[in-house]
Amino acid sequence: MTLKGSASTLRVWTAAALLTLAVTAASLAQQAGAAIQGLPNKSDSVKFLAMGDMGTGDKPQYEVADQIAKAYKTFKFDTVIMLGDNLYGSQTPADFVQKFEKPYKPLLDAGVKFYASLGNHDASTNIDYKLFNMGGKRYYSYTKGDVRFFVLDTDELDPAQRAWIEEALQSSKDKWKIAYFHHPLYSDGGRHGSSVDLRVILEPLFVKYGVNVVFSGHDHIYERIKPQKGITYFVSGSAGQLRKGDIHPTELTAASYAQDQTFLLVEVGGDDMSFVCITRTGATVDSGVIHRTAP
Amino acid sequence: MMTRAWHYILDHALAVPIGAAIALVWANTFSEDYFRLSTSLAFWVNDVGMAFFFAYALQEVLETMLDGGALHTWRRAILPVIGAVGGCLGAIAAYEAFVISGDETILRAGWPIVCGVDAGISYFLVKSLIRGKGATAFLLLLAIASNTIGLVVVGFRAPLVDKRPVGILLIAIAIVVAFGFRKLRLRSFWPALLIAGSLSWAGFAITGLHPALALLPIVPFFPHAARNLDLFTDQPHGAHDSPRHFEHVFRVPVQVVLFLFALVNAGVLMRGYGTGSWAILWGSLAGRPLGILASVGIAVALGFHLPQNVTWRGLAVIAAAALIGFVFTLFYATATYAVGNVLQELKTGALLTLVGGAIVFFLARLLRVGRFA
Repeated sequence: MTLKGSASTLRVWTAAALLTLAVTAASLAQQAGAAIQGLPNKSDSVKFLAMGDMGTGDKPQYEVADQIAKAYKTFKFDTVIMLGDNLYGSQTPADFVQKFEKPYKPLLDAGVKFYASLGNHDASTNIDYKLFNMGGKRYYSYTKGDVRFFVLDTDELDPAQRAWIEEALQSSKDKWKIAYFHHPLYSDGGRHGSSVDLRVILEPLFVKYGVNVVFSGHDHIYERIKPQKGITYFVSGSAGQLRKGDIHPTELTAASYAQDQTFLLVEVGGDDMSFVCITRTGATVDSGVIHRTAP
Repeated sequence: MMTRAWHYILDHALAVPIGAAIALVWANTFSEDYFRLSTSLAFWVNDVGMAFFFAYALQEVLETMLDGGALHTWRRAILPVIGAVGGCLGAIAAYEAFVISGDETILRAGWPIVCGVDAGISYFLVKSLIRGKGATAFLLLLAIASNTIGLVVVGFRAPLVDKRPVGILLIAIAIVVAFGFRKLRLRSFWPALLIAGSLSWAGFAITGLHPALALLPIVPFFPHAARNLDLFTDQPHGAHDSPRHFEHVFRVPVQVVLFLFALVNAGVLMRGYGTGSWAILWGSLAGRPLGILASVGIAVALGFHLPQNVTWRGLAVIAAAALIGFVFTLFYATATYAVGNVLQELKTGALLTLVGGAIVFFLARLLRVGRFA
């Protein structure tokens, strides 16, 4: 081997080493938090996942759960808000394993807490299931950092619940107020659409007491509604079930997707709420930032 | 012209269908306006106004039981009552079977809803198909008995131990006051209605019993006069024409209440159907007619006789007419569930029972009953 040949080989090896280093560094940087575009992934922010109509126990639910587990590796949310129809069909202890504990095992093992709302397919006794963290109540409230979550049971919005939500909203001094429940107040889903009977009762309260964002399921699609009276509404009812193509966008629609199962990753930091909607295959179909205006 | 149209609406009990039609169109065109109005009126119509409707209905039923009334002898009523019990059991069984076969367990509490029989629409259907009083009387008695079962279950299903004693005391005082007015032989119903009725309504509201049923304990103490069993027509002149008589005074207001009830409650969104709708339809469509036929069949086997001029084929048509629940099913649904998706589904089911009208005509034609004979 000549000296010239040795120098050439060294250059090749050096280049390869540098390239490897660069790739490794990029990969490490990604794992450190810059992986999911659209989410700042700050250390002091409130991070959560929103999903609805998931509990089928079928393959698509497991594939969505795998995608969620992948996202969790880079985006460490500590909360999952469940938008109802958390279990379909029979709801025996074995079903809770098959339709909830098994698909979301990586999250449960990591200590992520799930907070459920009830859908029309959920048994009312599910309020006592420990991992749903409902505390034996159909409607309840909890706080994470600057965010207060209000969880409602829209199967039946009885007078006691209406009085409770008004009192809870009124007494909340939290920076962000987020409500979630199963039936959407606004939806362009073809099967169900907007629950106008609920809207005329709840929306005035949400507006009066400064709710910022509302999440619902029921229609097996993803849709983001343009802000209505200052409130942004999400329909995220396709984390297991999917009604393919069942969306009829109107002037209310800001973004929509009904070709595959989806879930939402959300981050609240300061006055901004960033969100990303991800499909079963890992594609991002919607993202954005909602800026909170002071009341 | 307007007066004639008004009388036609009253005489043919059209206030409800007109109110329902307006509600349906309105709810599906200007939804938010409709639901805002219906939400604001719901209490006044469902809890206050309907109290007068149920009082009116009970007054009519009680008068048919007086000496000279159509039901003075219980023997005439026993077979329709058996049919009503069988119909309710059949409807409840079919409803529950349907709900249990799915996973929406929240619907299981809705079984009393299928006890409702819309006496008005069913009556006009049977009357237009089968001549003779036997068939219409049988149907009306069956409807009254079914709705009584439904009212008792819906109104009193909450455990009495939870009731507040103050409310029960108020109801007891109301009954004593009404009884006192009766003993004083007051010829007007107004003192009993205003004083005892108000006390009773407050008592019902406080205890959690449905306030629409609040006048029922008071009505038996109103002045009465015997009447025929033909609930939707003018009775012969006499005591019923007296301005002191409840029925005379409230005939028109009750129609207005029914119009408002339909307007407030029948507005459902076209996409508001779901498992609850099919459960109501299945319970009414399959369960009730079969229950009626089976129970009457057993009663006849035990020695009872079918009403005069009513054949088994005619009874099948009557049983089919009884599947229409409409107003009563709507009422039971609103009394059982609060605002929400479940109530929307059940209301849609109540409206869907109107398909019974087509079934009745088809069945009458198939079996060559009445005008198709």
